[in-house]
Amino acid sequence: MSFRRYSAIFRKEGLHILRDWRSLAMALGVPILLLILFGYALTLDVDRIPTVIYDQDGSPQSREVVERFRGSRFFSIVERQGDYREIIRRIDNSTALVGVVIPRDFARKVAGNEVAEVQLLFDGSDSNTASIAAGYAEALVLAYSSELRERQVIRRGAGKMPPPIDARVRVVYNNELKSRNFIVPGLIAVILMIIAALLTSLTIAREWENGTMEQLLSTPVRPTELLLGKLSAYFVLGMADMAIALALGVSVFGVPMRGSLLLLIFASALYLFGALCWGILLSTVTRSQLLAFQVALISSFLPAFLLSGFIFAIPDMPFVIQQFTRIVPARYFVALLKGIFLKGVGVSVLWADILFLFVYAVLVFALASRTMRQKMA
Amino acid sequence: MQPRNGSAVEVRSLVKRFNSFVAVDRVTLDVARGEIFGFLGPNGAGKSTTIRILCGLLAPTEGSARVHGFNVATQPELVKKSIGYMSQKFSLYDDLTVEENLEFFSGVYGVPRNVRPLRQAYALKMAGLEGEEHTMTRLLAGGWKQRLALGCAILHQPPILFLDEPTSGVDPIARRQFWDLIYAMAESGTTVFVSTHYMEEAEYCHRLALMYKGRTIALGTPAELKASHGPGATMNDVFIASIEHEEAESR
Amino acid sequence: MWERILQIIRKEFRQALREPRMRAIVIGPPLIQTIVFGFAVNLDIEHVRLGWMDLDRTAESRELRHAFDGSPVFTIDHQADSEAAAQALLDRNEVQAVVRIAPGFSSDIRSGKQTEVQILLDGSNSNTAAIIGNYASAVIARRNQQLLGERQRQKLVDRTAAGPVLLRIPGVQPVRRVWFNPELKSRNYFVPGVVVNIITLVTLLLTALSIVREKELGTMEQIMVTPIRPIELILGKTIPFAIIGMVDMILVTAIALLLFHVPLRGNFLLLGFSSALFILSTLGIGLFMSTISETQQQAMMSTFFFFMPAFTLSGFNFPIANMPLPVQWITYLNPLRYFMDIVRGIFLKGIGIEILWPQMAMLAVIGVSILFVSALRFRKRLD
Repeated sequence: MSFRRYSAIFRKEGLHILRDWRSLAMALGVPILLLILFGYALTLDVDRIPTVIYDQDGSPQSREVVERFRGSRFFSIVERQGDYREIIRRIDNSTALVGVVIPRDFARKVAGNEVAEVQLLFDGSDSNTASIAAGYAEALVLAYSSELRERQVIRRGAGKMPPPIDARVRVVYNNELKSRNFIVPGLIAVILMIIAALLTSLTIAREWENGTMEQLLSTPVRPTELLLGKLSAYFVLGMADMAIALALGVSVFGVPMRGSLLLLIFASALYLFGALCWGILLSTVTRSQLLAFQVALISSFLPAFLLSGFIFAIPDMPFVIQQFTRIVPARYFVALLKGIFLKGVGVSVLWADILFLFVYAVLVFALASRTMRQKMA
Repeated sequence: MQPRNGSAVEVRSLVKRFNSFVAVDRVTLDVARGEIFGFLGPNGAGKSTTIRILCGLLAPTEGSARVHGFNVATQPELVKKSIGYMSQKFSLYDDLTVEENLEFFSGVYGVPRNVRPLRQAYALKMAGLEGEEHTMTRLLAGGWKQRLALGCAILHQPPILFLDEPTSGVDPIARRQFWDLIYAMAESGTTVFVSTHYMEEAEYCHRLALMYKGRTIALGTPAELKASHGPGATMNDVFIASIEHEEAESR
Repeated sequence: MWERILQIIRKEFRQALREPRMRAIVIGPPLIQTIVFGFAVNLDIEHVRLGWMDLDRTAESRELRHAFDGSPVFTIDHQADSEAAAQALLDRNEVQAVVRIAPGFSSDIRSGKQTEVQILLDGSNSNTAAIIGNYASAVIARRNQQLLGERQRQKLVDRTAAGPVLLRIPGVQPVRRVWFNPELKSRNYFVPGVVVNIITLVTLLLTALSIVREKELGTMEQIMVTPIRPIELILGKTIPFAIIGMVDMILVTAIALLLFHVPLRGNFLLLGFSSALFILSTLGIGLFMSTISETQQQAMMSTFFFFMPAFTLSGFNFPIANMPLPVQWITYLNPLRYFMDIVRGIFLKGIGIEILWPQMAMLAVIGVSILFVSALRFRKRLD
């Protein structure tokens, strides 16, 4: 291992990156783009659900229910006097997700101390929004129901009766329940993966395609030097991206950073190193940019996005997939990120995740340098 | 395509600028039909740029050029029907076989279906690649690749052939064989416009233009050029003397 | 004209399908992506791990525990007997929520006072947390209804001079009916969306990269000097990827039906036709990317820069209605948004052209305009 040869490769790779200013701008733009998207534009929080009301009864009581829906911030009434056909039409063309039907005998039943019904129709195709909407709508109707009961009980002179148990929901870690707060830290795992695996997957394949690899092979440069030289250039780029993401996330999007900055940087460096080695490994094996990119997309970006617990919770996945996520490094890094950012916990809790990232990085590095030695020999 | 009257290639005060860099500087020249016209000059002299303009690949900044009677700036597609082109970088598909490459290019050149087998067989024979039809192109040696590239460029029997440093990186024997091919082309009436930086190849041309820093600094037959630099001058002497003269002028 | 186009298409397929690993790329990624998306992308909350912290330890508190145990959602698998233990459970990610019952719970209930139960939620995933919070409140609300009903009846009964007669009190019962996806499986919603994702990625990437690859290798220059017309070159370079896109669409649909049992209620032919309309846009964008890129790396980055926002703003998992208004306006320019509507409409709602025509019209308009602009940019010139 010669430092001079290593730094020559590093410098060349750095120049490639700096010369192609458009790719560089995009590489540094990735965190900005993703942060704006996930921090500003995208939210899983549901409100203003478009709703059609069909009040068959038209009584003061039924209008009371309608008023409840109108007053709730979760529902936005798009049609006050619909009918079944209107509900079907609007749910079909997605201009409404909920239909509320108050049957003709509503007031009569309430007055007769019977149990009246309110029909709630949901567009189930978006199951997530539908189940949240159903929760809100049912809670709203039930609240009206208990109020009705209480009024009746008071009228009969039984006195006011509060609900016996008061459920106090207290949220720890992310108490405003902003989806941004858990998405932004996890995003760092995705960003680093994009830079590391996707960009590096192209670098060695490109040298094969353009024939410059033969040129390099004729020099005394050793595989490990080539590997480390290329890797270091992209490592710098990746850490720059991580710094941008961190700075923007905390300053612009107000994501709390409760844990140790040093631990965060250390964990990111470990994860980035492993991901870079993986990209280079793919590049060495495939020798084709198109192929390397596709394989990198499937084997690194996709798992980082879907199987890391970044948005989709791992415990909700089928058992086999859950087991599979155990070999996805992004899973451990996302756990680290959430732990450091939101929970503010340290090494005592997170050591296992760090250990995994370390073992992963060492293994992939060994594999990449061995493969490169074979291919270059 | 009916041959037009006049020269095969007619260039008048051609200029090509890339931002502030002048790649081609007021080049004027004529190439007669059936001629082998050599374009000589060091790397970066503007040879490739000129050839690309003549092929309709780049638009000229100023001046005009006609190839086979067609204006390269306004009728590039008609120009393309009348020429064959081989670039200095090997540019056939590595991952197709010899035959598949020939088939592909006869297709994109629009060679009529009925004559296609004939033309492909001819190109194959000319390139000396008979029996190698099913070889993957990437497995061919450098010289053979060049001959295949030439074969692909003449499938549509173009009256004019542009060869941009066709022999760079090829061994001397393969180079000699390649020039035999060029002669055969010229004898059958094809105009060949060829650029090179090998001095000995300049001798093979009917006429030559010496190019340096975007300008033509000498133009004539090899004999004329050598004669103007005194008896016993080699092509190399002519080349160096012309450049020194040019440098002195511009100072 | 068709002769030359066919020639390019033939060449493209030869290059794409000669090597086994290149063949694998046409089938492999869509297959893997569909399966991973289908299994992993799941917002259903079915098993909530709950920690139980009971500082009262009475019959009443055990009743509440039964209420949670009886719910299909919650599994109580950890006990905590101190604040620190509860905190540690949440820190280590062993539970998603802790229910904390303070001492005095039962005596409060018996004496008719209001008592408090705390639900500590791990908010690090806000979406899950909100739903878990709703579920837990619902369990307690149900328990309240029971307790309250008993108590109200008692009081009313007590006050009747004639003796113990049960009186009826009014109530309103919500009756839920869910259309299209009665079990509310998120898989039914997401798997059809994968069709959009895969067609986009395959057609966009292959088009952009294959053209730029020819630029990098110099073969594009060789083609440019032939008399081939730009339109022929464009069609020849895009039709193969359109075909691959359609094959992938059929593949993903087959997996959706056979493996994930997602219902396909609408017309498959309409799905095919809409995919073809949609592919116009992706090919156009791929072509555009190739005109602005010199290297495959640039093409890849540009493609990515288009794909990420286009995909996340398509309504795939983030509902468009929840986005800020300016962002919602932008989505009207996003072809993925319309195709997403169409695919889900056909799969889940079984609706046809009479409802989907506006989306299809938009796809046609966007597709043709993008192709037109890209074709104009796509010159047979090097500068």
